Amino acid sequence: MSELLHIDGSQGEGGGQVLRTALGLSLVTGRPFQIDAIRARRRKPGLMRQHLTAVKAAGEVGRARLRGAELGSMSLRFEPGEVRAGEYEFRIGTAGSTNLVLQAVLPAMLVSDQAWFVRIHGGTHNRMAPTAPFLTHCFVPMLDRMGARVSVHLERAGFYPAGGGILSCQKRAGGQLAPLDILERGKLLEKEAGALVAQLSRSIAQREIAVITKELSWQKNRTIIEEIEDSQGPGNLCWIRMAYEHSTAWFTGFGEQRKSAERVAHSCLDEAKAFLAHDAPIEKHLCDQLLLPMALAGGGSFRTTAPTPHSLTNAEVIQSFLPIDIRFEKEPDRAWLVTLTAQ
Amino acid sequence: MKPLVVLGFLGTQIDATDPARRWDRWRPTVSLFQHEDFLVDRLELFRERKDETLTRMVLEDIASISPETELRDHTLEFKDPWDFEQVFAALHDFAGSYDFKPEEEDYLVHITTGSHVAQICLFLLTESRHFPASLIQSAPPIQRSHYEARYQIIDLDLSRYDRMAARFKLEQAQGVDYLKSGIPTRNPAFNQQIELIEKVALASTAPVLLMGPTGAGKSSLAGRIYELRRQRLGMEGPFVEVNCATLRGDSAMSTLFGHRKGAFTGASSDRGGLLREAHGGLLFLDEIGELGPDEQAMLLRAVEARRFLPLGSDQETESDFQLIAGTNRDLRQRVREGQFREDLLARIDLWTFELPGLKDRLEDLPPNLDYELQQFTARSGQRVRFNKEAREHYLSFARSPEALWAGNFRDLGGSVTRMATLAPAGRIRVDEVRDEITRLRRAWQSHDESSHRLETLLGRDYRERFDDFDLFQLEGVLKVCASSASLSAAGRRLFAISRARKSSSNDADRLRKYLARFNLDFAELQQEPLPG
Repeated sequence: MSELLHIDGSQGEGGGQVLRTALGLSLVTGRPFQIDAIRARRRKPGLMRQHLTAVKAAGEVGRARLRGAELGSMSLRFEPGEVRAGEYEFRIGTAGSTNLVLQAVLPAMLVSDQAWFVRIHGGTHNRMAPTAPFLTHCFVPMLDRMGARVSVHLERAGFYPAGGGILSCQKRAGGQLAPLDILERGKLLEKEAGALVAQLSRSIAQREIAVITKELSWQKNRTIIEEIEDSQGPGNLCWIRMAYEHSTAWFTGFGEQRKSAERVAHSCLDEAKAFLAHDAPIEKHLCDQLLLPMALAGGGSFRTTAPTPHSLTNAEVIQSFLPIDIRFEKEPDRAWLVTLTAQ
Repeated sequence: MKPLVVLGFLGTQIDATDPARRWDRWRPTVSLFQHEDFLVDRLELFRERKDETLTRMVLEDIASISPETELRDHTLEFKDPWDFEQVFAALHDFAGSYDFKPEEEDYLVHITTGSHVAQICLFLLTESRHFPASLIQSAPPIQRSHYEARYQIIDLDLSRYDRMAARFKLEQAQGVDYLKSGIPTRNPAFNQQIELIEKVALASTAPVLLMGPTGAGKSSLAGRIYELRRQRLGMEGPFVEVNCATLRGDSAMSTLFGHRKGAFTGASSDRGGLLREAHGGLLFLDEIGELGPDEQAMLLRAVEARRFLPLGSDQETESDFQLIAGTNRDLRQRVREGQFREDLLARIDLWTFELPGLKDRLEDLPPNLDYELQQFTARSGQRVRFNKEAREHYLSFARSPEALWAGNFRDLGGSVTRMATLAPAGRIRVDEVRDEITRLRRAWQSHDESSHRLETLLGRDYRERFDDFDLFQLEGVLKVCASSASLSAAGRRLFAISRARKSSSNDADRLRKYLARFNLDFAELQQEPLPG
């Protein structure tokens, strides 16, 4: 077995991302790791229920030996065994994000040439995590272009606090990741203002879309309203989608109690406007997600608006597992060039 | 970590709400499963048969947000959820039939839901350990816009009520009041005395001598002076207390001043001794009049020079301690008899306070009675009160000349403890008082008979001259002497064991010397035969 890797859980933005990336890459490389000071600077430090679910999911996939996998634990040792492709089902409590659990096992799926089917129960449209439509519209197409045979399917929407959503991820056999360079947006193909209401009035969605189209002075755009009846609890969000030749940008506004539809719409407008004033093809949330698959592909590059602290921390952890060099370079025109080079 | 099990009622009102709005509302049972940092492994939900629909909705919602949790529901049958007896019986039956495994699982009883009757029953059954659990109380979010509700876990083990206990302490921690244990005493002489003691305790570190009969509270007062100095003057060392009457022979020196390894047979390692232990703190030497001459000499050196010589050592040890001495004897009399060093007495009686016995402070009986009841509550966790009539009856006996209060406040404490222990449902009734008065009379009467004998033999002031410790022993010895024909015969009976072991040969001489310490001789005892 290869040497134990020590990881400082409080580094960078010091959240669950360090843990999830480490879990994913430990499964890929077979390298055991010990993480200490997990979420040390958070108000409730240590492993919370959603992290524990991710740890156990990765443990199950990789037949791993776990030490310290307990609620509130600040240290965890993860020693993976044999990773087995196949069908898995995981359930996350407190309506936690299904996608965050997926992050822990997706890297193992991406490097495998076998077929996988993973179904996760929990939240599918969570604040502070990539939503299911973001995955299907922005992230999965990138994986597709890199040669991965992966698809993500929203079986049932789940919102905070009720949960009850289902996200599934399928990987067909074969396929190999290849480097990808995305330096330009290309032509704007389609623009969309959308909103979703679950067990709430359709008028909320209409108001949100009206604000978005008015603020962006859009005319010939697509509008879409999704009404969901079968969810466990209520939910509302709106989004702005801009599909370009080489990438798609997606911005989400989350509805919550006591927040007007207009304010919900405005919460995603600022980011969208900043993106429109720019020419980089990859917005910052997609940048967060792209680093890991590109590292697994052995290289790649893209231009982005601005790397988040998440991205920087993620790059640190990736470089400690994989022989890859990740560089963030500021360009004269406010964009950043991110380059991944195999060592 | 042991698996965590929550037991609680379905809240037929509070867990129920308009289904369409239910995720906007605080539902106590559901909220327990929404915490990121709190994971319940199993829920045992109590509900009535009629609440089938609500139960299904609540359990389905919990399953959605807490897939980690195993869910079980139990139908409890009672016709009226507000009938105490029915609810108690149903829960009591459940507790009896449920397979609690406190070694393997932790249990929490949720007391936010259910009728008030149900909550009270759960509390009682948890307190009585029928449910080997702690309590959990859930509360709505502070702001309604926040989803996260709150919870608090309450362990009924009284020793863990730290903050509550701290409050009681705080009430008492005020100077004079503190020295009086917070008892609002009325006796003017005593109150003045205590005020003076507070001043001295805080202004001087010189030795203090506390005089007074047994049970007058010397030891408790010394402890409180220590606490006061610790809190106000930042004294850092410990409170070390020893009754000198219990120190005898070789071990007395060693106990007080320590010894070096090999100083005597059995000294297998170094020992620091109590004076050393009291370094930086306070040493309370009760019954200081009982110290032997060697110990007195060494103590004098230790008090004057802060140094002394441990047994078998050629190097002096230092100890910076403060001294409080206690005695129930007239030390001046002991000096005149050549039993106590005059220079030591001069050193320790700079501040001498005489604590009066209970008989001299009868007006302080009621507040001390209340105090003893509080003490009982603090010890047992059980609140006990007097019925009005019972209290009057007790006080009137306690004030009467018939009540000797030979052991002073110690007797009062014992008396209250007995009544409180026997009181049904926390009420001391006239019945308990009557029985207690009988017990006190009997105790004081036997005390009286034997004290009559001792008074005849030892003189009127014998109580001031000897410890109870010695007197109890003497009483037994005198009985044997009275029923023995000769000094030798009595000696054989009294020293039978050491004689059998051949560790002592001259029993008669040993007995003669023992009696001589009390200025008694065998012939005198024969002339004055003791009955019994």
